[in-house]
Amino acid sequence: MLARALEVEGVATTSISMVREHTEKIRPPRALFVPFPFGHALGRPDDPALQHRVLAAALALLGAPVGPVLRDFPDDVEPGAEPPAPTQASAVTPAAGIPDDPVAEAMAMLPRQAQWLETSGGRTAVGLAGMALVRVGDVVRFLQTFAAGGDADLPERPRDLPLPGFIRYCADDLKALYAEGYMTMKPTAGGDEIARWFWAETAAGQLLRRVRDRLDASDDPRWKAAAFGVAR
Amino acid sequence: MPRLDRLPEGNRKNLLALPVRINDAAPFAPLRRPLAASRLAIVTTAGLHRRGDRPFGPADQSYRVIAADTPTVDIVQSHTSLGFDRVAIMRDINVSFPIDRLRELVARGVLGALAAHSYSFMGAQRDLARIEGETGPEVGRRLREEGVDAALVTPT
Repeated sequence: MLARALEVEGVATTSISMVREHTEKIRPPRALFVPFPFGHALGRPDDPALQHRVLAAALALLGAPVGPVLRDFPDDVEPGAEPPAPTQASAVTPAAGIPDDPVAEAMAMLPRQAQWLETSGGRTAVGLAGMALVRVGDVVRFLQTFAAGGDADLPERPRDLPLPGFIRYCADDLKALYAEGYMTMKPTAGGDEIARWFWAETAAGQLLRRVRDRLDASDDPRWKAAAFGVAR
Repeated sequence: MPRLDRLPEGNRKNLLALPVRINDAAPFAPLRRPLAASRLAIVTTAGLHRRGDRPFGPADQSYRVIAADTPTVDIVQSHTSLGFDRVAIMRDINVSFPIDRLRELVARGVLGALAAHSYSFMGAQRDLARIEGETGPEVGRRLREEGVDAALVTPT
């Protein structure tokens, strides 16, 4: 679809496809179907050799004289240890006895996340809500007030961003903070292990389940959409 | 991905319910020169942008421009669907935005050059009318004006 708009202007495109069934219908001019989990279009993170193999296969399609061309990246490629899609909250039972103090828990993540910044060269997925990390306590309290049914807001919310959208960014930032913190504790952890830990063992995970419940109870489709993005 | 038959039922149903454009007459632009002499741009649907740019929201059919010299540390992702694993791109942006790999291909002489800009859209869209009629063609024109021969379209 997007490829089509580019080809009209004379730009040759080659696309990476994650869902073969969709690509068969959309029929972009050139596409390479890859058998990797969602979130891994070029293969595994920190595996440049595999990424180069995928790239070479995708770029080779640019030489095709006619299209559409849909090629499969070799099916025997090892897709890695991660499941096709991450485990969702509804599939994880919360552990008993998690201290219900998400503010303290989130603050304790800060030094771990600072360590992550050292190893990542400063790269972080936190920051969508535009809140400084030192304000994470306020973000968590905001989410707690919202989950409890209160009138919650923060002065940093942009005026043109509706409340459910802002809540979604705050939830995304909280998840990213925890994921980055976890990776400093267990550098080999993959996304599925982190998702299971977050939903089972953290107070933040339980808070986000409650945030989801309040969003989902609304009749407003924007609230429901935000709920679907916070926890499923 | 994932063969759909290997996915949990919830994901599979959600994906099969997505409206998909059936395309019977795709335009096809041949590559005009060898890859080693071509200028290539990344066009991604991973919802990436520079930190400080307005994040993508749901059903957002606008696009963001990422200059080729943007340090990867300044690129963030606001496509955060629970349908995919965000940890992979937290570890290595090249899983969706293979900018380092493409630079290596340029250095090896396999690829002619990287375009001055990459373009980024939001993923998991249902309504594509504005991308189809306005923002997609706009990016196509910009690529042509920037002398781009080919685009690599990457999802997340």
